Amino acid sequence: MKISKIIEIDSIIKTYKNEGLETNVLKGVSISVDEGDYVSIVGPSGSGKSTLMTILGCLNQATGGTYLLDGEEVGKLRDSELSRIRNEKIGFVFQAFHLLPGVSAFDNVMMPLIYCDKTPADAKERVKQVLIRVGLEHRMSHTPGQLSGGEQQRVTIARSLINDPKIILADEPTGNLDSKNGAEIMSVFDHLNAEGRTIIIITHDPIISEHARRILTLRDGQIVSDEINENFKKSRAGIARVAVK
Amino acid sequence: MRILKNLGQALRGLQLNKANTFLMTLGIMIGIASLTVIVAIGEGTKSKVLNRIANMGFGPESFSVYSGAGRLFFGRNRNITSMTLQDVDDIRAMPGVAIVVPRQRKRMRIINKKEFTTTRVYGVSPEWQPARQWRVVDGEFFNDMDMDRKRKVIVLGNTPAQKIFGEMDPLGKKIRVGQVFFEVIGLLETKGLTESGYDPDDRALIPLTTAMSRLFRQTHLHSIKVVSTNSEAVRETMEGVTQVLRRNHGLSPLADDDFRFVTPEGIMQWVTESEQALNRMLLLISTVSLLVGGVVIMNILLVSIRERIREIGVRRCFGARRADITQQFLFESVLVSLLGGVMGSSLGWILSSSLNHFNLLPAKITWDPFVLAFGFSMIVGLVFGIHPARKAASLSPDETIR
Repeated sequence: MKISKIIEIDSIIKTYKNEGLETNVLKGVSISVDEGDYVSIVGPSGSGKSTLMTILGCLNQATGGTYLLDGEEVGKLRDSELSRIRNEKIGFVFQAFHLLPGVSAFDNVMMPLIYCDKTPADAKERVKQVLIRVGLEHRMSHTPGQLSGGEQQRVTIARSLINDPKIILADEPTGNLDSKNGAEIMSVFDHLNAEGRTIIIITHDPIISEHARRILTLRDGQIVSDEINENFKKSRAGIARVAVK
Repeated sequence: MRILKNLGQALRGLQLNKANTFLMTLGIMIGIASLTVIVAIGEGTKSKVLNRIANMGFGPESFSVYSGAGRLFFGRNRNITSMTLQDVDDIRAMPGVAIVVPRQRKRMRIINKKEFTTTRVYGVSPEWQPARQWRVVDGEFFNDMDMDRKRKVIVLGNTPAQKIFGEMDPLGKKIRVGQVFFEVIGLLETKGLTESGYDPDDRALIPLTTAMSRLFRQTHLHSIKVVSTNSEAVRETMEGVTQVLRRNHGLSPLADDDFRFVTPEGIMQWVTESEQALNRMLLLISTVSLLVGGVVIMNILLVSIRERIREIGVRRCFGARRADITQQFLFESVLVSLLGGVMGSSLGWILSSSLNHFNLLPAKITWDPFVLAFGFSMIVGLVFGIHPARKAASLSPDETIR
């Protein structure tokens, strides 16, 4: 089976200019990610993780270097094109959830469909399915304020899945959760990856990064290590067993 | 349609931020309410004046000339005594003149035994009736014989007749006007109050000659009504009348007229002019208040965008283009403004109705202010929403979700 590259970034540079002062946040980062891979990007704060994630998520464009996302060069695209790519290919999961306040879980999950060029006819059914998928079928009409942290994060995962994206991009997804809820959320990611979805998790927590097959370490704007996680196969086997059960 | 979905998001945004929504509508509401009330008062005043014209018995072929300079009913000098029967004779001799009615007028007390009232007493010639085309329902109008003999006869309008006679039949009864006794010989047909409260029936008519020598004791006239043979000749006739009066009154070529014309056209023109003045004021007031309302909306939206920066960021992350964000906030501004317009119209409608109901001011409710309110509030929403909306859209997605 030929494994295609979903992400190929080459010598990405990101420089911020602030009051005449130039700060080089990313100093030539090159990563390629296979479709269906499970990658975690770790590094201390200030290492450029968040900036890398905004570039991977097409929320920002690099100052230099090239970025091929699913075979498409996104470095030079216009804003409306980037919006389309975010809508179609990327599902975001944030540390602080970022759900629309006062809006039901159902409508929060529905939100990305508003910005599709063509709303699928089975939109409501799809929303239901993804909410069932994350185990929230009984909480669909609850607003974020009525949900626990773990439940809110499940809603954001459902929201990231609604457009069937190529990549799930999670930024410290367990950062606002206790360890029990955190573990539950990670198992959702594990299952999603087991089903073949590409997942990139950005974290500083080694326990979280251990879930991934591949661990990239970023320091001072550069990749300092790129390792295959030895424990991955074992945990994967566990998931497979659960899935079979 | 994507634009409809953005409209839906805007509606939801307004629902979720009710306090802001209410504050934003306030300015527009007040602006539109004042606009509605002012238009209603304007229309009310206009219809009052038009009613008055309708009740003056003007046809297109007739006009009046009043003693004293000034405009329409607003004479500058009430002590002008230059208009006389000589003027009437000279006007009557002009070609193109069908009827000429000389008039004297005074408010006087009329008394029947213990009952009395004050009414407008007119001394007129018998031609008054054909010129005015006002029927006598009981008895008859005085004739040339009554004029010649200066007989003390009186024709009553319905209002004074009711006041001093009640259910009794006034015909043949003697009433006292000032110090002089008159015999009631006729009753005028009832016209009824106009919408504005003007009472055309509040009058009494006596022969002009009687008025001159026995009651008012003066020879000068209050006004002359002229009916020309056809409406095209009116302008020409008026010029002729001007020449006659200036000559008779011995006015030098440089002196101003000591009389003034009252024509249906003149009244209409006056109404139109005052309406235009009113409209200018109206435009100023509503522009100022709507500008204020618009600025209020803009500021609250700007603050609200700051509060909702996360929401904007998340929408952008999941595929909202800049245009989508612009549309959403522009819709919010327009919707809020329209809501203010609807509330303001309702408030204005209530205020106008109560002004009318409690007889404070004449107010007439028409459709125009509601259409105006819709248009104005839409424009205000668009104009003052564009800046906040663009600002919201210009926020970069990666900074808004931090």
